[in-house]
Amino acid sequence: MQRTNADSPSPSRAARRPRCDLIPADAYTVAELTDIYNQTRIDYIVPMPMNPARLQEYIDNYDLDLTRSVVARTGDKTLGLAMLGVRPSHTWITRLGVVPDGRHLGAGHAMMSHLIEQSYNVGASYIILEVICGNVPAHTLFVRLGFEEVRELLILRRPPGAPKASVPAYDVVHGDESRALELLQRRRSAPSWLDEYESLRNAGSLASIEVTLADGAAGWLAYQTSVFQLGRLVVQTEQGDPASVAATLAHALHTTHPHKDTKTENLPALDEHLPGLQAMRYMESFRRTEMRRPLDPAINPS
Amino acid sequence: MTKILIMEDDAHQRRLIQRVLEHGGFEVVAAPDGESGLRIALSAKPDLILLDMGLPDMDGQTVAGLIKGSTFLADTPLVAVTAWPRDVAAEMAAAYGCDGYFSKPISARRFADQIRDLLAEYGSTRPEDGGSTH
Repeated sequence: MQRTNADSPSPSRAARRPRCDLIPADAYTVAELTDIYNQTRIDYIVPMPMNPARLQEYIDNYDLDLTRSVVARTGDKTLGLAMLGVRPSHTWITRLGVVPDGRHLGAGHAMMSHLIEQSYNVGASYIILEVICGNVPAHTLFVRLGFEEVRELLILRRPPGAPKASVPAYDVVHGDESRALELLQRRRSAPSWLDEYESLRNAGSLASIEVTLADGAAGWLAYQTSVFQLGRLVVQTEQGDPASVAATLAHALHTTHPHKDTKTENLPALDEHLPGLQAMRYMESFRRTEMRRPLDPAINPS
Repeated sequence: MTKILIMEDDAHQRRLIQRVLEHGGFEVVAAPDGESGLRIALSAKPDLILLDMGLPDMDGQTVAGLIKGSTFLADTPLVAVTAWPRDVAAEMAAAYGCDGYFSKPISARRFADQIRDLLAEYGSTRPEDGGSTH
């Protein structure tokens, strides 16, 4: 257990703050962590509650390390939660939240400082995180801790239904998970943590679509398919206009799966495929800002 | 009596809506997540479904898509209840076939009347008439 008051901006405020204890998240069951997480999000712009099964899936898919993730407490009261994903070159801070009546006590800062220290300890060269656009208090905290904005990422939805918009004739080849993973290794765009190769491989149930248009344009799509939903779309144009290729891929996808809802997270707002997806009824649900903090081993605080 | 199904994960909010609607003369069935909500919807065939768009097992859009894609439930008025910004809520509710939406927090004083107005708009019987709908 780590005890801290080091996050206080001034000694006088520190004196008024209760002591904040940081407890490794692996001391809690997934059901308990789920409950804490849901309590921290209750008044968020996009609350996104979870149940234990979804949190466990999240932990597995995104390589969260519960021994390095923390729950903040003061006395018997739980203040918040912050989780750390760990991969060889970098870490990812996620599920950070403080319960409404535990805010302004320094718990967020304390948990973030702990995860930054943990990131140094695993030898990561940088940390990334995402914050929902409009969450000013969190964004301000991250900037204060040395994070810089990288890009905006979109969460897109498309309701079930076969495509209504038409596209020029095309040839299509459907592939299974092994083909999808093969294609993903050829990816050129910079993924976010949620759609890095490891995340997609961990999530499984992948498939692929490759299209070739009459004018020679070509591209591929890797995606996840579940009983009710399609998701985790990764689009790459090999040749031709990205918007046309994306529209054609989406046409093929939704012709194949007309009854499924679609949710895809973290498409960069400036991605050239976006207009093609929008033409196929994809709409923005909300957006996040991706932020990054380099870790210079020379200044490891521990 | 007109039957309303509430799908809402937040227990406090669920109890509040339930109390308000029961006080307004509606029969209420409630579910804390999408899976149990869909099961209840199929067995109880409510006259209107209030759907929180942020559920813990599957999100509201997915549930809405399943309801509107079901031959058994497609005609049941479906109303989204959401904390999203108004423009997003309106666009998303319409795209997913919802028949209306309410922004959180709901008005406890006006909510039962708002539901009555919605039901009247969709041709359902008012609760005080004691009849079934559709």
